[in-house]
Amino acid sequence: MKRIKRLIATDKNLAILFAVLLLVMVVFAFVFGDSMYSARNLRSMAYQIPEFGFLALGMMFSFMIGGIDLSVIANANTTGIFAAMILTGNWFPGLSEGTAILLAVCVAMASAVVFGLFNGFMVAKLSANPLIATLGTMTLYTGIGMALTGGRGITGLPEAFTAFGTAEVFGVPLIFLLFLVVAVALAFFLGKTGFGRKLYLFGGNPTAARFSAINNERFTIGVFLVIAILSGISGLIIISRVNSAKVGYGDTYLLQAMLVCVIGGIHPDGGRGKVAGVVCAILLMQVLSSAFTILRLSPYAKKLIWGTILILVMGLNYLSDKQVKKRRMRAMQAKALN
Amino acid sequence: MKRVLINGPEKILIAIILLYSIFVTIVNPSFLSLMTLFDIIRSASCTMVVAMGLLVVMLSGGIDVSFMSVALFGGYVSTLLMMQTGINNIAFPFIVSTLIGIALGLCNALLVHWLRLPAFIITLGTQNLFHGIMTTFISDSTIGSGILPSSLGRFGSAAILQFETESGLMSLTASFVPVAAAVVLTWFIINRTMIGRGVVALGNSEESAVRAGFSPLKIRLFVYAYIGALAGIMGVMYIAQVRAAYPNKLVGDELMVIAGAVIGGTKSTGGQGKVLGVLLGTLVIYLLNSTLILLGLSSSWNDLFVGALLVISVAITSYQTRVKNRKNLIFTE
Repeated sequence: MKRIKRLIATDKNLAILFAVLLLVMVVFAFVFGDSMYSARNLRSMAYQIPEFGFLALGMMFSFMIGGIDLSVIANANTTGIFAAMILTGNWFPGLSEGTAILLAVCVAMASAVVFGLFNGFMVAKLSANPLIATLGTMTLYTGIGMALTGGRGITGLPEAFTAFGTAEVFGVPLIFLLFLVVAVALAFFLGKTGFGRKLYLFGGNPTAARFSAINNERFTIGVFLVIAILSGISGLIIISRVNSAKVGYGDTYLLQAMLVCVIGGIHPDGGRGKVAGVVCAILLMQVLSSAFTILRLSPYAKKLIWGTILILVMGLNYLSDKQVKKRRMRAMQAKALN
Repeated sequence: MKRVLINGPEKILIAIILLYSIFVTIVNPSFLSLMTLFDIIRSASCTMVVAMGLLVVMLSGGIDVSFMSVALFGGYVSTLLMMQTGINNIAFPFIVSTLIGIALGLCNALLVHWLRLPAFIITLGTQNLFHGIMTTFISDSTIGSGILPSSLGRFGSAAILQFETESGLMSLTASFVPVAAAVVLTWFIINRTMIGRGVVALGNSEESAVRAGFSPLKIRLFVYAYIGALAGIMGVMYIAQVRAAYPNKLVGDELMVIAGAVIGGTKSTGGQGKVLGVLLGTLVIYLLNSTLILLGLSSSWNDLFVGALLVISVAITSYQTRVKNRKNLIFTE
């Protein structure tokens, strides 16, 4: 009990978020009963989380350095299209299935890395505003995919590849386990390594970081590289799960990824937040999404709800920040008086 | 020579437009006609109106991605009102839609000012919120051309200039009037009024703007109300042009307008941008849109060219600023 108390005290926001998640899950258990927590629905949620989760984690990194990366989804889709081109034999025809899959994965990850390096180059070496720079690269990457496919979906991927998206280990989807492993690894990197310390420092105050012997430019490029690799993984998961590669898949993920970051306690100005918060927010989002599907809400109603939640959460964050500042001021005044 | 070229993004854009036009004409001589120009003006008119509003917002250091939602909201609701009240006068929807746009714009301004978070995220939220409110609580059915008030359709096909040639009737669309009005008004506000000076000051540095006696809240209210009003006008223009009110169009096309503004040399961090630049930037995008087919490329190459152009122009402008800042020992990342 004491331990739990101490845990809650260390990160209040995370504790609140976790409590909300539990509350929503319990309430939904009563409202929806079996349709929410049937094995089938749980499994379908576990299949849907990873592709979005990787994108959201990428968005989290961009928020943490005080930037934003709009190109995550375009990156995922276009690398997915590259991979699908090879897998379906449109490029390099005549490869054996095993070689084709290996080559497709390598090409997809390599192109994701190139995209990420380019984003990083724009932001770090040319000092472009991340919002506008990634808006440009988003259009560019989408354009590459569009020019290759003409907007049509590429279907008919080999079964050996789609098996990856549908594989299960003890009833748990493999891609979900992959997501958990990556999330834990990222949490470790952020919390326990020098890289993580630097990231918080850099996000909090880039100028101070520059004069603390952090190579800002290399660091920024590194962060965009991490984001791009996460997007690339997401792209591979998407094509193996839905068995097709298409420009414009998951357009709504952009709003949802930002929403997840804001709910998860990542401040868009940078320097704050934890992987655990974002993972909690992703789970919360998925549970809500599932509920909307069960309720058969129209896409318009979903838009309304996501938009409302985003504005509300930002408003609440603002109010609680103000409260904290006020309390600190009062404490300081009291100290000064004594 | 180099200095002059780099300092004038408009000059580069004009050169690009001319060279590209010559290139297209060589490949396909049918491009060179007044008809093409009128077509481009017609298809770009909606975007140009709202791009003027976006210029003002970006000058103030903010950004807005909710304007297409606002335009749809204003246009759709005013069309519905026209049908319900039976008023068949073209001035009515413009007034109603502008008022709706101003109201929604004020919401944006207050949220941006109070929450002190990136305007992009806030307006992305309100974009979904406005669209969601409209489709959930008002109506989400399409108003087809059969039941659309006739005055709207007449405005959409009206012409202010018309003459006969061998190749057929050529006409300059009446949508040119709001475009010209928006351009002149925006130029006047930015260059000849105190509030315009305040917008630029706020975009350059909020701190200095406050010390110079400007109120950031008032300026933000003005800026977002202005883009809201222009978006409202644009919504009606769009419905008149396509002769139907779809509840799911427009939203999602914001990025092309932003791309036009950025290609035209508007800086996303504020304080820099010109009316002419935005017009040329938007024109380039529509020129590409309408000529790729003449070059034998399908329209799916659109994004690639626009994206490349956007990336290059962002790279050039931000690199210049960086060099300038480094010279003054300013290390903004």
